[in-house]
Amino acid sequence: MLKAAVISNAIVGLNESYISNDLVDYRIETITENFDPDLSDVDLLIVPNGSDHIAMLKIKDKVGDFLGDGKTLCCFCGWFTDWVPGNQWKHDNTKATKDFLLAIKTDRYGLFDGLNLDKFNYNHGITGWWACGYIEANPEADVVLEDAWHRPIMVLDEVTTNGLMILTASGPVGDYRRRPGNDDGIAGLNRHILELATQRRESHATNRVGV
Amino acid sequence: MQQIGLVFNGVWSQYAMATAPKYRDIYELVYVHDLSYEAVRHLQALVIPFQSNQEALVRRRDALYRFLSDGKKIAVFGDSLPLWLDAQWEDRPVNNYWWVENPKNPPISQTKYEHPVYQGLKPRHACWHIHGVYTRIPENSEVIQRNDKGEIITWQTERYGGVLFASTLDPIVEHGIQQIRHLDNYVDKLTAWLCGTTPQGKFEVDSNIYGAGHICCHSNALA
Repeated sequence: MLKAAVISNAIVGLNESYISNDLVDYRIETITENFDPDLSDVDLLIVPNGSDHIAMLKIKDKVGDFLGDGKTLCCFCGWFTDWVPGNQWKHDNTKATKDFLLAIKTDRYGLFDGLNLDKFNYNHGITGWWACGYIEANPEADVVLEDAWHRPIMVLDEVTTNGLMILTASGPVGDYRRRPGNDDGIAGLNRHILELATQRRESHATNRVGV
Repeated sequence: MQQIGLVFNGVWSQYAMATAPKYRDIYELVYVHDLSYEAVRHLQALVIPFQSNQEALVRRRDALYRFLSDGKKIAVFGDSLPLWLDAQWEDRPVNNYWWVENPKNPPISQTKYEHPVYQGLKPRHACWHIHGVYTRIPENSEVIQRNDKGEIITWQTERYGGVLFASTLDPIVEHGIQQIRHLDNYVDKLTAWLCGTTPQGKFEVDSNIYGAGHICCHSNALA
């Protein structure tokens, strides 16, 4: 089973979106003044929406080592500090949310297979709810989702480091099945990401045996 | 000179609001894990926004009440814990689409517009959505806003020396997000009430302070 660490800055509602299940064993790592989590036994590091990017900057080197080991980082939040290798989230308010529409660009692992993109584009008919700003992505990385102005909104990066990074421009992803009708929306995307991280862990383990 | 401390949980929207050119000469980022009385005593007021680290606030409770006892103001938004705030917050589903589906039934139905934060605001500017309600507040507190069930959304008390203002609205986080574009009205009134300075101009994003050029906490100096 996939082992995941979820970074928590104790905001309301966070823990209930990451409850262990058949795919993943979540461990909540709560930020304190002496934040220094042990990531040695986890396959997946999740930095959820609403995270503390001052704390993440403090462990930038540890995250770099984690990725160097071939593991998976998911950041579903606007990282205003520069702790994510090779990619930078930027805030922006120059575009009207009513004009904000997402499109799938490069989805080599089928993260959106069977999902309904309208679930990401519309919330009760309102557009522009799922993402804020955009990502200045490594040009070699995959842009999975782009906005109407062709700016990266979701990036899959296997080239900057030895690991896998799945990054959103603050679009929340989690086990939101408690919200009805989300199996082909965010909850579905979350499951596909967990399955990809599992595949990566298994192939990484096989390669290690081969060595 | 910065006059208001924004108790900062490292969240991007909190950062975006306090470091926007319109507000950054007024608001100082105070990282919640560095919060102490000595770190904030030079400020006139504190704002504790939605998406705060409630566990950290419990550990820093004494600093907050010492600040209030100096006769200063603290404004608290979103959820809270009774371990540091003598009130009971309860969660409710967030309805941020009422203005599309049921525009005549907003999440807040009663507002005391004579309160300085609300004076001159239109109803739409005084209510966008709420994050829960208060089912218990300190004795002799003043209720400022309620929903249509009579549940308390916004209240304040002077029992701790200064003014403690609490609301389940989320003006700081939403203004930073910039998906709701009318929040200058609320935040500017709030800012003027807290420190006497009315922010000027429109909310703009300074792209240079995202990434390597991010602004540090405390002095808001560039990294």
